[in-house]
Amino acid sequence: MGTSVQVTPLCGVYNENPLSYLVSIDGFNLLIDCGWNDHFDPSLLQPLSRVASTIDAVLLSYSDTLHLGALPYAMKKFGLNAPIYATEPVFRLGLLTMYDHYLSRKQVSDFDLFTLDDIDSAFQNVTRLTYFQNCHLSGKGEGIVIAPHVGGHLLGGTVWKITKDGEDVIYAVDYNHRKERHLNGTNLESFVRPAVLITDAYNALSNQPSRRQRDQDFLDAILNTLRANGNVLLPVDTTGRVLELLLILEQCWEQNHLTYPIFFLTYVSSSTVDYVKAFLEWMSDSIAKSFEHNRDNAFLLKHVNLLISKSELENAPEGPKIVLASMASLEVGFSHDIFVEWAADSRNLVLFTERGQFGTRARMLQSDPPPKAVKVTLSKRVPLVGDELAAYEEEQEKIKKEEALKATLVKEQESKSIVSSDVTKVDPMVIDTQSDAAGVRGEAYRDVLIDGFVSASSISPMFPFYDNSSEWDDFGEIINPDDYVIKDEDMDMGSMPVGGDLDGKLDEGTASMMLDTTPSKVVSSELTVQVKCSLVYMDFEGRSDGRSIKSILAHVAPLKLVLVHGSAEATEHLKQHCLKHVCPHVYAPQIEETIDVTSDLCAYKVRLSEKLMSNVLFKKLGDYEIAWIDSEIDKSESGDMTSLPLSKPAPPHKSVLVGDLKMADFKQFLAGKGIQAEFAGGALRCGEYVTLRKVGDATQKGGAAAIQQIVIEGPLCEEYYKIRDHLYSQFYSL
Amino acid sequence: MASQQSSLKRRDSTLTRESDVMTITPLGAGSEVGRSCVFMTFKGKTIMFDCGIHPAFSGMAALPYFDEIDPSTIDVLLITHFHLDHAASLPYFLEKTTFKGRVFMTHATKAIYKLLLSDYVKVSKVSVEDMLFDEQDILRSMDKIEVIDFHQTLEVNGIRFWCYTAGHVLGAAMFMVDIAGVRVLYTGDYSREEDRHLRAAELPQFSPDVCIIESTYGVQLHQPRYIREKRFTDVIHSTVSNGGRVLIPAFALGRAQELLLILDEYWSNHPELHNIPIYYASPLAKRCMAVYQTYINAMNERIRNQFASSNPFDFKHIAPLKSIDEFHDDRACVVMASPGSLQSGLSRQLFDKWCNDKKNACVIPGYVIEGTLAKTIINEPKEVTLMNGLMAPLNMQVHYISFSAHADCAQTTTFLEELMPPNIILVHGEANEMGRLKQKLVSSFADRNTKLYTPKNCQSVEMSFNVEKMAKTIGRLAERVPEDAGERVSGLLVKKGFSYQIIAPDDLHVFSQLSTANVTQRITIPYSGAFGVIKHRLKQIYESVESSTDEESGVPTLKVHDKVTLRQDSENHLSLQWTADPISDMVSDSVVALVLNASREMPKVVVETEPVKDEEEEQKKTEEIVRALLMKLFGNVKHGEDGRWVISVDDNVAYLDKQKGEVESEHEGLKDRVKVAFRRIQTALKPIPLSSNGSS
Repeated sequence: MGTSVQVTPLCGVYNENPLSYLVSIDGFNLLIDCGWNDHFDPSLLQPLSRVASTIDAVLLSYSDTLHLGALPYAMKKFGLNAPIYATEPVFRLGLLTMYDHYLSRKQVSDFDLFTLDDIDSAFQNVTRLTYFQNCHLSGKGEGIVIAPHVGGHLLGGTVWKITKDGEDVIYAVDYNHRKERHLNGTNLESFVRPAVLITDAYNALSNQPSRRQRDQDFLDAILNTLRANGNVLLPVDTTGRVLELLLILEQCWEQNHLTYPIFFLTYVSSSTVDYVKAFLEWMSDSIAKSFEHNRDNAFLLKHVNLLISKSELENAPEGPKIVLASMASLEVGFSHDIFVEWAADSRNLVLFTERGQFGTRARMLQSDPPPKAVKVTLSKRVPLVGDELAAYEEEQEKIKKEEALKATLVKEQESKSIVSSDVTKVDPMVIDTQSDAAGVRGEAYRDVLIDGFVSASSISPMFPFYDNSSEWDDFGEIINPDDYVIKDEDMDMGSMPVGGDLDGKLDEGTASMMLDTTPSKVVSSELTVQVKCSLVYMDFEGRSDGRSIKSILAHVAPLKLVLVHGSAEATEHLKQHCLKHVCPHVYAPQIEETIDVTSDLCAYKVRLSEKLMSNVLFKKLGDYEIAWIDSEIDKSESGDMTSLPLSKPAPPHKSVLVGDLKMADFKQFLAGKGIQAEFAGGALRCGEYVTLRKVGDATQKGGAAAIQQIVIEGPLCEEYYKIRDHLYSQFYSL
Repeated sequence: MASQQSSLKRRDSTLTRESDVMTITPLGAGSEVGRSCVFMTFKGKTIMFDCGIHPAFSGMAALPYFDEIDPSTIDVLLITHFHLDHAASLPYFLEKTTFKGRVFMTHATKAIYKLLLSDYVKVSKVSVEDMLFDEQDILRSMDKIEVIDFHQTLEVNGIRFWCYTAGHVLGAAMFMVDIAGVRVLYTGDYSREEDRHLRAAELPQFSPDVCIIESTYGVQLHQPRYIREKRFTDVIHSTVSNGGRVLIPAFALGRAQELLLILDEYWSNHPELHNIPIYYASPLAKRCMAVYQTYINAMNERIRNQFASSNPFDFKHIAPLKSIDEFHDDRACVVMASPGSLQSGLSRQLFDKWCNDKKNACVIPGYVIEGTLAKTIINEPKEVTLMNGLMAPLNMQVHYISFSAHADCAQTTTFLEELMPPNIILVHGEANEMGRLKQKLVSSFADRNTKLYTPKNCQSVEMSFNVEKMAKTIGRLAERVPEDAGERVSGLLVKKGFSYQIIAPDDLHVFSQLSTANVTQRITIPYSGAFGVIKHRLKQIYESVESSTDEESGVPTLKVHDKVTLRQDSENHLSLQWTADPISDMVSDSVVALVLNASREMPKVVVETEPVKDEEEEQKKTEEIVRALLMKLFGNVKHGEDGRWVISVDDNVAYLDKQKGEVESEHEGLKDRVKVAFRRIQTALKPIPLSSNGSS
């Protein structure tokens, strides 16, 4: 019997939630993808928490949070402790993506689900593989071979092929068959009849315009805004699709000699581009070629300015500009801050290049018609002063005693804070509402976060200001202890051995950014932003569209198909389609529903004896060579079977015609032989009398109908036999 | 005993097919260093490793012996690294021979290959006729070269191959090739020692059946790296502090980068040297930096960690030197110049200039090839010949400190001990060194059954591998696993690459991309006579003629031989329908002939004569035919005493029972052949099997 295969979705079926699936092969539990959404909603991970400790290996397919976001949390909280496999770019860019998310969250909230250290330690056990590398698992997974294949979509994106005993389980989600500027298309189509294919229905219902048209619209929209003196904001992911956008812009700017500044603003933008420059071997052939020939590295961006803090953006000269800022969700991060600033100006444009995740601000703004105003929460991290700082210092003292080594560093930091805090002692609650005061104080600190605060205060007078002070008064006593709790965590951070350099050189690189241990807390205020700017959505997600998905599935024609990830509607649609056109075994399991996709395929191995093989004459057909054999089985004592030639004359067998007849090709062929042929009423009329027809639906694979039924009809004449001979020549008869 | 064994072996080899023999032929680098090129065939697949030139020769003489082979048969050509003696004849081979296979190398190798060869074309001072290729050929070759990343497994024509890190230089690879389960490892140049920027060669996780390994350093042992580095820096330091000049003739790319890393670091740690300039005189210097900066993922952890803060290849104390014209030779300095062989170019110009002064020093940092000036001066002759042909005294100090990143004897031995390949082929080594290494290896592997070969150029090594062919029976055929010996399995044997599957015809489309077809044929024949006549006639010829009426139209039908259906469509037409296969086609043809005859002879009333078959006559006739055919095949076929035929070929005799088809013979091979021949003759004589008669 075949290898036992079970699939249990843990998240992301019948909706567009993050992806996380448990695939068990002969008892070896593989967690494929470990995604989380932009909100980092722990309730989504419930199913994962129940199985995390039983997982034997983790495979990651893409570098975005939807595919790997929950990894640090799961390893910290659920006891997930298994080797992780990913390609080098997925590893590296995934790490940067997580950093960016963490830092964006941390700026505006007391984000405590995981820390930078958790991210680092989670990514520590990643085994990095290259495409087409057959990685043989050992121990419990003996006999299982995993291999990443090209997935497209994001740099290093992976279609996983898991093989045991010659049976392939393919996991292919979010792939892109189209070649793009920086990526090659997936090689999913090179797989033939895998035992199981796990794929997504995300794009089953969507169709895309041609790439050329879409690129043109994209650039037109941007340039029109810029020429009308507006700014363009592109909320993007940290390290994924943004690379393609950068190349599009770079190329356009280069060709048209444009001078509008382009800014790429994430907490990790410079490291991202540095690493990406060294990933040429993972990119498209044309990029590799241009480097090999002229040493032109496509990611030596001439027109793009890499920024890692918003103050740098504010220092930029006035005038129309284009900013690619991270957090495509617009929930937090730079994109959120810039949106709040720019939304009220009708000259500006916010251009979405991917569908927002469900329940995010981006999704809300993409709805039709877009909302006139949105509520936003303006939050920022401010350094501690007064009582809070005193309390914090007290805690620090304790730690100082505990950790003598760290203490000196922390002390310096504290004293610095004290020196620089030349502001009068203000109650925290008062600061929260008096944004002006906070702004002034912020400038004194030369802190990037405070710069954000200043801009916020410049907007607030324009809009109804929601005064939360009463709430704060009511719950003041309750909130204050919370603030102290947070400071505990801050101290944890402070004591973390993240690195050296503590002098707050925020602009020097990401590393120093993460080391900002100035005691601080988060203050927030809510306000409503009028959305007057234009909002446009264009699909630059780099996933195959519905039509291509269907044709790829029909081509791959798995024996069993499992559908995951995609709205309920899309999943159902694709399921029905596949049942009809791809294979009879299509599954779309619910969360935590284990389905058994063990192939009902029977197989056994025999040794082909030299005697038998010396009498076999192969006929070559494309990649295949085929022959008819009649053999006798000889069993050795150990149960090994050997096939020997028959001792008796072979009984006759029904002859088999092997080949694939394409009517149109055959017509050409006949024309080449001097026989006129034309299609008439579904049949091919050859010459004057003979007709050729194909009966039954040949498009459906998997079913019994895949045997082509061809009917040739005609009166008894010479032509009939001639055409029949030509027809036979299209097949191999065995 | 021994002789008997060998004769047995020979007999075996005639039985096993020729393609089970693996032939490995060095076309270059066989008992020499330079022009690496190893040609290998097995199971009808052909692979070539490396395609270099010999640096000591020029023009055609530098090429490997390509005329020994037919380049058009090569499936895959694998290039291990960019050095000229491993890659430089590639443009020639791709553009000027009949080669039409595929070429693979790693990303870094491909990028540097172009730089290096363009430079090679520019600097080599040979006449146009002697030029093997030009810039255009290199550009065209770039389009044909495909890239492979480390550990990627690719498959071409059933040949699977992947590569491991080899150390040596950036992008250097060791190739593992798997043909039908037999694995061959070609190390190219490799080093098991990690240095400043490169990883050490990996140990493959699978043991190969054949290991083709370099033996450059023979039985020599390297000093530990830190000692070599110290000697290197000490020599340079003392020379420049005495006001001397240091010449380091080095190959422009590869090891040069390692030396520059050492020098740059040394200078950084010794501020007193900051006024002494270091020049890196190579037109490639700047251009290759982009490559080194990009492929950091192919380097070791140390460099990758450094890269995170700053680019380690951004040297602070080293200045590029484009040509000798820019160079003001007025004070102590260190110059690294190419080529490493001192045959021509800038390094030779400087050597000629400096060799007189004993304050100066020349440090030779790597392996030097026989027949070059660099090799000559290592032996410290009193005089050397300058480029202008004059003799000059050699006063400068010459130091030989190897950084060439080839494995030494210790590394080679441990590497082979861990891999345990049953066959080892030594290449890329000077004959003497290689011989010593062979002796050393023979003694250390004495307890194992390891075969060692040191072929010369064009000398083939033949090894025979008996590969078991395993087939997987799947689908309907495998629903029941055969339990007893002797059970029959019939089906389609489908071969893809080197994997076999046995599939029932109906399953073919399920397990492969092939599909099967049924062709139904329908022809109409003019016939206006009575249907009964046809039926009558058919019954005379065929044993099985079934008559019935069509359920829909009610016309009478006849089913001949269970295969061909004949219907009376109208007064004037009969229609004939059958599913195409050779037997049915034949039956249908005869039916057509019969109908046509019947309609021609219509008025004639045929007197029914019961066909009296002279069985015996028939039998005899058949036997004669069979015997005649057998005689054509085997020559001597006589009637035996017991009614069997005696077939004798040479000294072997086989007895054939012509009724049962049983064969008796002492010689297995003959027995099988006779059996097969007899069976085939039988099927040819009686193509319509009796069994289907019986079933109807």
